[in-house]
Amino acid sequence: MKYTSRALRVLIGLALGATIMACAAPTPAPTSAPAPTNAPAPTTAAQDAALSGQVSFYINEGADEVEGFKDLVETFQQQHPGVTIHLVNIPNDDEFDQKVAALYAAKTPPDIININYRRFGQFAIKGVLQPVDEYLKHSKVMKAADFYPQALEAFRFQDKQYCIPQNISSLEVYYNKTLFEKAGVPLPKAGWTWDDFLSAAKALTQDTNGDGKVDQYGLGIAPVAIRLAPFIWAHGGDLVDNTDKPTKLTIDSPAAMEAFQWFVDLQVKHHVVPSKEDEATEADQSRFEHGTMGMYLNSRVETPELRETIQDSFEWDVAPMPSDKTTATILHSDGYCISKDSTNKDLAWAFTEFANGPAGQSELTKTGRTVPSMQSVATSNDFLVNPEPPANNKMYLDMIPNIRRVPVATTWLEVEGALNNEIQRAFYGDATVQEAVQAAIANTGEYFKQNLNDLNSQ
Amino acid sequence: MGSRLLRYLALSVLILVFWFPLLWMLSYSLRPIGLPPPTKPEFFAPPLAFENYWRVNDYMAITPLMVNSLRIAGIAVPLTLLTASWAGLAIAQLPRAARAFLLALSVALMLVPAVSTWVPRFIFFTNLGWVDTILPLLAPAVMGTSPFYVILFYVSFARIPSELYDAARLDGANALQVWYLVALPLARAAVIAVAVLSFAVYWSSYVEPFLYLQSEAHYTFPVAVRLLEQAHPSNFPVLMAASVIMVAPVILLFAFAQRYFLQGSDALAQFLGRGGDAFE
Amino acid sequence: MSRFSPRVLPRVSLRAWLSYRAQLWLLLLPFLLGTLILILLPMVVTLLLGLTQYDLFSPPEWNNFANYINWLTDRLFQRALYNSLWFIVIAVPLRVAGALLLALALNRRGRGFGLARASVYVPAIVPEVAYAMVWLLILNPGYGIVNLGLQALGLPGVPWLTIPFTARASVVVMWLFQLGEGFILMLAALQILPPDVLECATVDGANRLQRFRHIILPLMLPALLLLTFRDVATSFQSVFLTGVITTQNGPYYTTYFLSHYVFDEAFGLFRYGYASATTSLIYIVTVAIVAGQWLAARRWNRLEDLD
Repeated sequence: MKYTSRALRVLIGLALGATIMACAAPTPAPTSAPAPTNAPAPTTAAQDAALSGQVSFYINEGADEVEGFKDLVETFQQQHPGVTIHLVNIPNDDEFDQKVAALYAAKTPPDIININYRRFGQFAIKGVLQPVDEYLKHSKVMKAADFYPQALEAFRFQDKQYCIPQNISSLEVYYNKTLFEKAGVPLPKAGWTWDDFLSAAKALTQDTNGDGKVDQYGLGIAPVAIRLAPFIWAHGGDLVDNTDKPTKLTIDSPAAMEAFQWFVDLQVKHHVVPSKEDEATEADQSRFEHGTMGMYLNSRVETPELRETIQDSFEWDVAPMPSDKTTATILHSDGYCISKDSTNKDLAWAFTEFANGPAGQSELTKTGRTVPSMQSVATSNDFLVNPEPPANNKMYLDMIPNIRRVPVATTWLEVEGALNNEIQRAFYGDATVQEAVQAAIANTGEYFKQNLNDLNSQ
Repeated sequence: MGSRLLRYLALSVLILVFWFPLLWMLSYSLRPIGLPPPTKPEFFAPPLAFENYWRVNDYMAITPLMVNSLRIAGIAVPLTLLTASWAGLAIAQLPRAARAFLLALSVALMLVPAVSTWVPRFIFFTNLGWVDTILPLLAPAVMGTSPFYVILFYVSFARIPSELYDAARLDGANALQVWYLVALPLARAAVIAVAVLSFAVYWSSYVEPFLYLQSEAHYTFPVAVRLLEQAHPSNFPVLMAASVIMVAPVILLFAFAQRYFLQGSDALAQFLGRGGDAFE
Repeated sequence: MSRFSPRVLPRVSLRAWLSYRAQLWLLLLPFLLGTLILILLPMVVTLLLGLTQYDLFSPPEWNNFANYINWLTDRLFQRALYNSLWFIVIAVPLRVAGALLLALALNRRGRGFGLARASVYVPAIVPEVAYAMVWLLILNPGYGIVNLGLQALGLPGVPWLTIPFTARASVVVMWLFQLGEGFILMLAALQILPPDVLECATVDGANRLQRFRHIILPLMLPALLLLTFRDVATSFQSVFLTGVITTQNGPYYTTYFLSHYVFDEAFGLFRYGYASATTSLIYIVTVAIVAGQWLAARRWNRLEDLD
């Protein structure tokens, strides 16, 4: 009894002490200072010497990609003692959106967010982002003309420039050079066609150990809208009726449906991509990294991780999207956006100028993560020449004229969600292309209506 | 003789079946990473890769995550013990009418789906500005975490002979002293059971830390493991190693506290015996 | 010398101005206050917010019943509702029955029984994230142990998580494994059965099935009801991480439940008003099912008494 009461006394003391500690010292993250002051008119660029204070910088990157941003932050802090950039990385897209939204809702906005052009619309419509047209006009470090127009324009919404693009990446074909050479397949080259693409994929789909099951696939594609779109475009079709003010999906046009069927046939007819079962067994990227997949469609964002995991186990490079009636690829771009209610917008802009100006872009592109959005950096050797793969970096620049993008809409993610579900069904043979198209159009109607409502109510 | 053998066989099968997920977790966590996936059932693929546990640290920094999870549990569990046992004692000692009401309330509260609290609590805590703090995570501890624990304490305290309570009160004890010197010492089983159960709740919690914690430095272990799974969905050896690390403290505590659970279930039985009247 | 003299504890003279009963209510304060703020108030707020449109950026705007009307055209919502109701109807009875049967089987002294009882409880206490992940591995079509075992026996492997029927079945099975909580409750309820009643029945010549149906079952009814109610309530929550991690809500939303819908609407799409309306529905479903079962049990009880 005595024993127990002593133990209990300790326990209770701990509990009370801990509770008092917890109540007395809440542990919020050091975001910008709580009381919003009146922001000065956004016309003057910040003087370098006078910079001080603290801003939070939220990014949405994988583990291997964060390092580059950490270096940027450190360099800037060294150049400006008295400045602290609080870097926060949230790897998952949906989680990033949700957490950023929670910050806005709590009136403790993140000062700078680095977000994809397909996702910023939902924030722009809520009025929490700061249009940066004026900042850009008066900047001494960057001008609108410095950037590739395709990337810059993707971050315009309702005639305002909301974010500055960091990269002009696009969808490309990562390929395993070693496997191509072993199978005697000609390497992909600029202007290669859908037929070349398909025959390469077929040749590389093999049963390498003779057990009757395919264990090396020629191709890995995710059955989602942003992978299907370039194929539709290359065949002369369109995803929506109007990129700026979309009112419906136009994937029921003959051209779009043919492209959709061709895409679906990769799995259903030719079996050059993993079946549903094999897809569930191992992810495409993992297969490519282990050398059991010939080609893998993704954007530049995966390059740092691929460099890290593949090392020297095989040779790999990148090739452009194959051409059909035309050549098309889809834009992948992330941009720096500043919050309207940020308490240190000048500092936020100054950091953006550094991290996304010529200096920062050169640094970041060396990590392999970006195809720089600034023309001067993209055409420099910082991007084009690199000891690590891929070697064919010029391909990205050559493809820029062929870049198209999806609409910027407030409900675009929901449209993608519904469309992705149908693409998946058709891709794995659970529905015909006709059925999938009809269902997709039917299910996305309300989202387009909602987007128009949102735009009109502004 | 034959039926005894059959019984042992059946029991062994049962035990294996229920332990199976954990055993498989352990077995796969020791699989060397470079090894291609198994093509036939193999429980151990030598060499046993204990280094997978160190590799987990390459993907996510284990120590700060552990510290964060432990900090939350370390505050929430004692707090839960306090508030749940206080409530339990009060219910045990209050007159019949109040007791019936409070018990009914507790049972009704137990039936509130956790899902239904996500949205309103998030709105509440966000408007309070408690985003990226652990305060929303600790809030349930203020009400004893679960009415089930309150009931458990009530049942344990109610079994203590009333003479002991009366003697203490005659000696001039106030409610806190009664709680501390009479009730708690005689309800050790309940204390341990609630401590272990509530630890499991706070340690394993995923949704609340996911919703409220923003910066990586504040993440708890389950959140980080989920992020790891999203980043490397096919790297099962490392995922299983991380899972084993997450599961081990709870299982160990449970093994230690096991016999107190059974005492706790005796107490539960009494409650049900009495509560049965309410259903007639 | 009294145990409560100042040497043991400083005498807190609360007694001077608060009666014992008042002190007891004071002890209840954290629990009651917490309940009010964290459960009851949220309930009221939820019901009110269900009539608004609220994205957390700007104040809520009344839109009357627009959220509820939207349900009629929201296919995803209908899917989630159907799945959740399906789950309650199929999985809850299985889990309660399983807990009861296991309790009946393991409620005896003897070597191994203690270990068996503890083992049943183990999956229930494993952290959800880890639990969902290990099942992802166990049910992996290519190298999960279930398919490997089937193949070793010469049977074909099944892509458990990518066929709608087996995906749903897997979710149910995963939840059934965690019936340890209910199992403890059933054990406790069994232990309070008066032994002399059971003896009487044996003497009267009733066989085991009759004993079960007419004596054990009615006596255990309170516990059974409690467990069923509790399982209905927790069924909403229990599938959340399973759906997110193990099945990714697939295939094609067949394992997409109301909890996912609420989560996605609120935290993914900033539609807190709409999510509140769905949450209100979860309350209503829970209350309806609980009330329905209660009434059914009372009727059955009264019928039994007539025998």
